[in-house]
Amino acid sequence: MSRIVILCPGRGSYAEKQLKSLDPADPRVQAAERLRSEFGLPPLLELDGAAKFDRALHLAPENVSPLIWLVSTIDAATALGDHECVGVAGNSLGWYTALAVAGALSFEDGFRVVQTMSLLQKEVCASTGGGQVLYPLVDDEWRRDPEREAAVRSALESSGGEALPSIHLGGLAVLAGSDAGVSHLKRVLPKAKLGSNQYPLQLEQHGPYHTRLVARVSELAFQRLAGVEFRTPDTTLVDGRGRMHSPWSCDLAELRHYTFGAQVFEPYDFGLSVKVALRELAPDQLWCPGPGNTLGGTVGQVVAQEGWRGVRCKADFAVVQEGPAPLLVSMRR
Amino acid sequence: MTTNRVAVVEKNLDDHLDSAAPAARLLGPDEPLRRGSGLSARKARELFEDMVASRALDVAARELKRTGRSFYTIGSAGHEFNAIVGALARIDDPAFLHYRSGALMQARARQLAGSTPVFDTLLSLCASSDDPISHGRHKVWGSRPLWVPPQTSTIASHLPKAVGLAFALARGRRTAVETGLPKDALVLCSFGDASANHATAQAAFNAARYVKKRGNPLPIVFLCEDNGIGISVDTPRGWIEECYSNQTHLDYTLAQGSIDEAWDACAAALERCRATRVPAFLHLKTTRLWGHAGSDVETTYRSLEEIEAVESGDPLLATAKRLIEVGAATPAQLRAIVRATRERVMAGAEEAARRPKLSTRAEVVESLAPFDEGAVRARSTRGLKPELRAETFGGQLPEHQRSVARRTMSAQINAALHDLFLQYPHTLLFGEDSAKKGGVYGVTQGLQKRFGIARVFDTLLDETTILGIAQGAAHVGFLPIPEIQYLAYIHNALDQLRGEACSLQFFSSGQFKNPMVVRIQGLAYQKGFGGHFHNDNSLGALRDIPGLMLAVPSRGDDAARILRGAVATAEACGRVVCVLEPIALYHEKDLHADGDNGWLCDYPPPTGKPDDPLLPGDLGVHDPEAKDLLVVTYGNGVRLSLRAARRLREETGRRARVVDLRWLAPLRCDALESHAAECGRVLVVDEARATAGGVADAVVAHFAERGHRGPLRSARSADTYVPLGAATACVLLGEDEILTAMKEILA
Repeated sequence: MSRIVILCPGRGSYAEKQLKSLDPADPRVQAAERLRSEFGLPPLLELDGAAKFDRALHLAPENVSPLIWLVSTIDAATALGDHECVGVAGNSLGWYTALAVAGALSFEDGFRVVQTMSLLQKEVCASTGGGQVLYPLVDDEWRRDPEREAAVRSALESSGGEALPSIHLGGLAVLAGSDAGVSHLKRVLPKAKLGSNQYPLQLEQHGPYHTRLVARVSELAFQRLAGVEFRTPDTTLVDGRGRMHSPWSCDLAELRHYTFGAQVFEPYDFGLSVKVALRELAPDQLWCPGPGNTLGGTVGQVVAQEGWRGVRCKADFAVVQEGPAPLLVSMRR
Repeated sequence: MTTNRVAVVEKNLDDHLDSAAPAARLLGPDEPLRRGSGLSARKARELFEDMVASRALDVAARELKRTGRSFYTIGSAGHEFNAIVGALARIDDPAFLHYRSGALMQARARQLAGSTPVFDTLLSLCASSDDPISHGRHKVWGSRPLWVPPQTSTIASHLPKAVGLAFALARGRRTAVETGLPKDALVLCSFGDASANHATAQAAFNAARYVKKRGNPLPIVFLCEDNGIGISVDTPRGWIEECYSNQTHLDYTLAQGSIDEAWDACAAALERCRATRVPAFLHLKTTRLWGHAGSDVETTYRSLEEIEAVESGDPLLATAKRLIEVGAATPAQLRAIVRATRERVMAGAEEAARRPKLSTRAEVVESLAPFDEGAVRARSTRGLKPELRAETFGGQLPEHQRSVARRTMSAQINAALHDLFLQYPHTLLFGEDSAKKGGVYGVTQGLQKRFGIARVFDTLLDETTILGIAQGAAHVGFLPIPEIQYLAYIHNALDQLRGEACSLQFFSSGQFKNPMVVRIQGLAYQKGFGGHFHNDNSLGALRDIPGLMLAVPSRGDDAARILRGAVATAEACGRVVCVLEPIALYHEKDLHADGDNGWLCDYPPPTGKPDDPLLPGDLGVHDPEAKDLLVVTYGNGVRLSLRAARRLREETGRRARVVDLRWLAPLRCDALESHAAECGRVLVVDEARATAGGVADAVVAHFAERGHRGPLRSARSADTYVPLGAATACVLLGEDEILTAMKEILA
């Protein structure tokens, strides 16, 4: 049985193509709908089954977050059934998925966490404003681009504290800031292209997550999610600081404290969590559950930065992926 | 045999975990293993994870070696209780670790999220250039973010600098030098029971106690991991306890027994050291499994029964038993830890073995001797406020001094040190008799009075300790200028330069530095004070050290500017620089005749210009118009050659161009080439013992290999120790001999 690490996606992984990802007959979908109704929010199946993708509706944090969480959780369960899972990590929102996939949160508590956090983010960001901006740190071959790195550093330094690092995503930097910070980033960062995307790219309906601007979310999360029970995980979790939490020595109080604390208002280093998972768990494969395939390139970029299995660039990665033992399995590719 | 014993020990653990029954009641995660213990069930399981990871790395090392993919099998098997200290000491407690520190490093790395201690170790075992600390230069335990400077640690040579760092912690507060460490930091230093017998270890224990006796804080934990054997020789039973449990100013703690008992003992020892700043000797009982290294056939010196007895004390097995017995873990949990860890370590080993290696000479030496001349010269332009100088020199600036006593080399060095202390507030000066007395030759007089006892202080009489203090202080931001009283004394402590100080940048890929300028009083020709120990002229041992820089001034003004170059180089490039000061020239006044004052010079004030410091390649050229003969020399040889050259001119009308090398390492022979081409004939005047200097050999070889067409020869001192009294003239290179050599080469 191959040893795998599961990497759960964050916001941005559910778009038009991902409509109809949910199976109404799946008992986990039904369970989620029951939990969703407790929040007085429209059913997920209604959103997922809509004939047309409504950006304002579908991408609203309180809608898109549980949709992503649910699809990922269901996909991950499939992966778990067929392999030996030696670790789970996630990107931002994907951390809440990872907690549930690893068994550190029950399905029900996991749903409550993701739904509550998305509502808190909406609530707090309504007053803070701001958002997130994507910018590449690599070239088209996924090799480090010092000029782009310097541009990001310079843009942050010249923002007067209004723009901050938010997520380290392999070859992409997610920056965040107040409205002024976001405007500054979009103004000063040179236009750049990676693949077919143009940057800087502001993420739709995203707040300044993983920065001190949303510290209030953390305070409220500790209060409103006090009843959530953290449990010993069944497999090793790797968090957004690259810290491992094993099934045998996990400190549950620390896990809670991190999840509702630093995880919320300090930069999330997904690249580091993948690096730690590769180096310390040395899995045969990395599995990325859906929805979508947003982490494929990101994970490939981390693999290239790491030089794992001799991969140093995009072309190397393609060779490994097309070979007899691909490293990355995107479940919804 | 070795592989079999690995399998036996692994099986012992597996069998126990497969057969043991869980405790009737399991402890909660925060419950202690026994009433009153500080070790909780969860923490104990964490320690077990680290111990198992360390053990799996040892097994992987042997497997990789067996398949030709790794190069180091000295392991940590049997020492895994050191994980306790890894968990208890903080990552801002600098740690100087010996080579059985696998579990300690695993536990220490937990304190820093994002650490990858398993894979880092595997990279190190495979000598991969991806190894984050040595970049493939050596298997070491080291990490910049974890504050573990790498050590090779085979002969306890890392202990003196650990003492030095502990000493420097308090000195930082007294001098306002920012050490980057918290006030209550302590220093951790580990070694084995057999290594405790090394002279360097004894020097360190002695120095720590001496410092404390003097009333200074010395927060160090000497962690003696006692496995009862050094390679094949048993340590006498009770030896460590007998030696260290009753020493004054050394807080001895024995840590043994179960994991929780050892935890509590270690915790108490560290806590006391942190609070009291008294040096601690933590005697941790361990065992040694699978021989000294993979290549060590243990059955040649231990019976099978003895080996099995040792294996029965396997700390992993003992810990597993303890955790299960008290209900801190179930057998199934521990079995799962063991299985998962072995799998991930072996899987990681396959990846690590594929990682790139150092493949060119340039890559290997990249971090050995970094030198950026531009940066060094720029550093020397650091401002020196005139009013500060005026205050320091009492209104009588040294460059305005005209008295004989203030124009000697001794006076110029003294003035230069004053200026350097003003220019670099993080300099320290120390040595035997250097402070209160001002040095046995008065070179450092007045420095302590002007700059205070925190920056200028006397040490105990031990060169190993002096260089240890220099290294430790340099690790935390000081720029030490230690003094070695006589050149012969450096040999007592040479490994502190060779094995430790000069190797630090090499083995840490430049991530750790210990910049320093070692002033050594030496060479021969002292009038009225003879004998080898005070007139040693063997400097080959210094030139033989990779990366060490060595200068020998011949004149006072040069000495001042060489010191400026040395300090700027240490500061800008992190280098270890030795300045060998010719004692016989300290107070010399005359050049050719008594009373001519030809060897006195005016003090060169710091100009703040890039050409002020003298660096390698900056030659001293006397009579640059001379073209009959080139004399290449240094130190006392310069004055002797100038005297001989004058006689040569008087007697033959021929003129010799005397070139002072000033720097002997690196020896910039390339800078001599234009002079040699102009003069044709080359004579190297080397005052060092004939086979122990290397300067003449190197210069002659340089020109011979480049096909120099003119005559080439050398004049050297005899290959012997230096005797007492008038007999010194029989062995030391003299003016007459130089003149004869000049005439011969011109004939």
